[in-house]
Amino acid sequence: MGINLLQVEMDEIRKRLNREPDEAEWRVIDAVWSEHCSYKSSKIFLKSFSMESPNVIMGITDWQDAGAVDIGNGWAIVVKVESHNHPSAVDPFNGAATGVGGIIRDIISKGAKPIALLDMIRVGNLKIRKNVWLLKNIIAGIAAYGNSIGVPVVGGELSFDDTYNDNPIVDVAAIGVVKKDRIKPSIVNRPGLKLVLAGLTGIDGLGGASFASRKLSGENEIGAVQIADPFAGKIILDVTLDIADKVEAIKDLGGGGLAVAVTEIANGFGAIVDIEKIPLRVKDMDPSDIIISETQERMLYAVDEKNVEEVCEAFKQYEYPCSVIGEITKDPIIRFRYHNKDLVALPSDLLLNPLRFIWPIRRIKKSNEKTTVQLPPLKDAISVVLSHPDLVSKEWVYSQFDYEVNTSTVIKPGHADSAVIALPNGKLLAVKGDANPDLCYEDAYECGKGIVAEAYRNLASVGAKGIVAVDHLQFGDPKKPEVYYTFVEAIRGIGEATRFFNIPIVGGKVSFYNENSRGNPIKPTPLIVMAGLIQGKLLKNNIEDGLDIVLLGYTHGELGGSLFSKMFNISAEVPKARLQEDLLSSELVIDAINEEKITFAKDVNRGGLIATLFNVIVHGYGIEIDSKSILSDSDNTLETLFSENGGRFIVLTNEPEWIIDRAKSRGVVASIIGKVNRNSSLLKIDDTIYNLDNLVKNYFNFLEEVTNNG
Amino acid sequence: MIAIIKFPGTTCETDVYKALVEAGVPAIIVKYKDFDPDKYKGVILPGGFSFGDYLRAGSIAASTETMKRVKEMAEEGKPVIGICNGFQILVESGLLKGALLPNLKLRFISKWVYLKVIRADTILTKDLENKVIKMPIAHAEGRYYVDDIEYAKTHMVLQYSDENGNINENVNPNGSLLNIASIANDEGNVIGMMPHPERASFKLTSIDGSTDGLLLLRRLSKWV
Repeated sequence: MGINLLQVEMDEIRKRLNREPDEAEWRVIDAVWSEHCSYKSSKIFLKSFSMESPNVIMGITDWQDAGAVDIGNGWAIVVKVESHNHPSAVDPFNGAATGVGGIIRDIISKGAKPIALLDMIRVGNLKIRKNVWLLKNIIAGIAAYGNSIGVPVVGGELSFDDTYNDNPIVDVAAIGVVKKDRIKPSIVNRPGLKLVLAGLTGIDGLGGASFASRKLSGENEIGAVQIADPFAGKIILDVTLDIADKVEAIKDLGGGGLAVAVTEIANGFGAIVDIEKIPLRVKDMDPSDIIISETQERMLYAVDEKNVEEVCEAFKQYEYPCSVIGEITKDPIIRFRYHNKDLVALPSDLLLNPLRFIWPIRRIKKSNEKTTVQLPPLKDAISVVLSHPDLVSKEWVYSQFDYEVNTSTVIKPGHADSAVIALPNGKLLAVKGDANPDLCYEDAYECGKGIVAEAYRNLASVGAKGIVAVDHLQFGDPKKPEVYYTFVEAIRGIGEATRFFNIPIVGGKVSFYNENSRGNPIKPTPLIVMAGLIQGKLLKNNIEDGLDIVLLGYTHGELGGSLFSKMFNISAEVPKARLQEDLLSSELVIDAINEEKITFAKDVNRGGLIATLFNVIVHGYGIEIDSKSILSDSDNTLETLFSENGGRFIVLTNEPEWIIDRAKSRGVVASIIGKVNRNSSLLKIDDTIYNLDNLVKNYFNFLEEVTNNG
Repeated sequence: MIAIIKFPGTTCETDVYKALVEAGVPAIIVKYKDFDPDKYKGVILPGGFSFGDYLRAGSIAASTETMKRVKEMAEEGKPVIGICNGFQILVESGLLKGALLPNLKLRFISKWVYLKVIRADTILTKDLENKVIKMPIAHAEGRYYVDDIEYAKTHMVLQYSDENGNINENVNPNGSLLNIASIANDEGNVIGMMPHPERASFKLTSIDGSTDGLLLLRRLSKWV
């Protein structure tokens, strides 16, 4: 395992230290300064996000494991998003499982009880058998871990693209709840506290942070993957929440292992750790391996001496290892001692302040080769787009998750555009994660805005108003100027949109070096997870015969980045995120829900209007629509039906006039475009009837069949 | 008072507690090592992964001191209810006959199912004969099997059915023998069930507002 530092970093380290670091020290610096832990290519830009708002209790100040916002009645929620892309590419079961474990520990680091998980997964083409294997094992890993610890997976996304053939994207987000005045920091504010470590340290996950900070080599990298032990994770979860009041700070052992955790919890103070006091899973480990091992199910606590015994006693009840391994010192040096000799003695300041880089940025020149393919007939377009795996039922996935444990899941996976969970203070929280790599590939800036707007609309569709977001930015190698350009553009878009909606970003993650085996970066895949509160009524979707179909919002003939343009290889104009349209139509939907004027709401996005309507049809209904009643700037039916521009919702109602009047008074356009009927699987557009029976069957059976044969 | 036993990997203890409160049944969550059978009128073993269950669901829990005490209670005729992992522990410890094998699809299955009440002589199902109720299942090892088909027929309490109470393979979610979702001992005081009544006890979180779980859990109130 090599050191991943750049020459310029090594020179800087020698200069700041005024000496040559020992080998163990190089390994510690490598772990702490890895891209994965230190955000060296991204931090400068991340500072541009809007992180403040009156309800933010803890934002992304440095070294906090997760941010928190006030939700009223003395309660707060904690939100965090993470990925385990590299480990999942190599060992999908353990990679995905440990992703869940890691995010859970981030939440309990705040003393918060995890109440919901979301998984956003992107894998390659399912025609390649390896991708089916990856998918099955990723889902099995999430299920094995999430189910065992009793935190429901309430939602997520699953989509497919060739760009992920070698490098699946496995994102996991978690929500926790905690009494506002009991939130724990992940950093200390005074010396003298004891460092208490729970859990055994092993040889799995060696150099994991460094591994995640470079491209997949294609060689055997299995040793860099951590092994999941959900039962141990459950003990850590239960005990940490039991003892949270007895400790001063809690730190998850994530990337970089103890090297990072000790440095960050000390937060500028120093620390002394005696390596021989660290309980090991394997005998005779190399001392420097112990420092950087990323074995899961470990937790670090800073504890006042008088509480140490009580803290470890709680673990002893479960026969779980717990020991004092060192203490926080006033002297700002991070020391790892082995048999009383310093193996590592590095200034906190050096470790906490890696070099920050702004790499060259080069705008992507889109070769303007408009493919002059002939546009397909509408019938073919419907069939090709609606049978895309992105749009099929994801029941095969969520039925493997224990999504109802905690008896707090109000809207179950697959039932609406957002999940809804009941909170201990009686309020209802809606959550959703959104990404749109096809759009980001076309225009990362518009896409950054677009995914924030989409998440906002998704929450509105159940009656919730967004209050907080976390982001996850996933790109290829940042040193490639074109990749870095998309990264900076996406940040600009996300930042702008979250400011517009007045939603603070309280945490996030950056994952670079996502490339395929030929060195091509993945399509830019920034992701937003947004949470919001239902302040009035909740909408549980319900469809009935005879309801009017009303489209809110204006349809723009912008097919760029759409599923349609991807399937038919057509370049077209990219949809602009007109944020005001998203805000106004979302407010209108929330109004209509509160006044009980609609029974069903769904935002128009992936697959365009057709896909949204298909969502009604799969419930056993038929639909007839009049394409001319769609308010649009295009006369082309393909454009009006397949454009994925924002700002729009489909609602079902028996009071369409109320909706249209209210829309007018709010500056939103709306029109009745059709009606729901009992003619199961039949879609009538103007005078033509399309029988979607086979597409409906494909919708329900696709994932089951493809995974049975894989 | 009904004791809800928490093993280290139990995940549903709070849900069962909340549902019993909703059903008006006094209950308390007890850590498995602290369990004193003389203090309680009945016991519920809730769902989860009692000891991680890497070996076989429920097998380690079944060999604990705690389960010896639960057996004593069962013999005294007190209610002993095992839900999901609790059911697995009951069969592993020999309190109920049979085994819970991996689902036929070899994966965890989480969904709402209909159940037909077959026996109405158990503590939980009194007066409910032939009624069709609805609640969720969530398990990887829930395929009930016993090599004595007569035992299965005479001891089954709930069968997976359609919404009209018809029983056939199409509505068998996991491949259970005879669509069995729940069985009980001769006396009807030891009951194991794969479905989660506690998850069908609250209007807000139920899939359609129904609260059939309470129909079962309320019957514990006369035992406390």
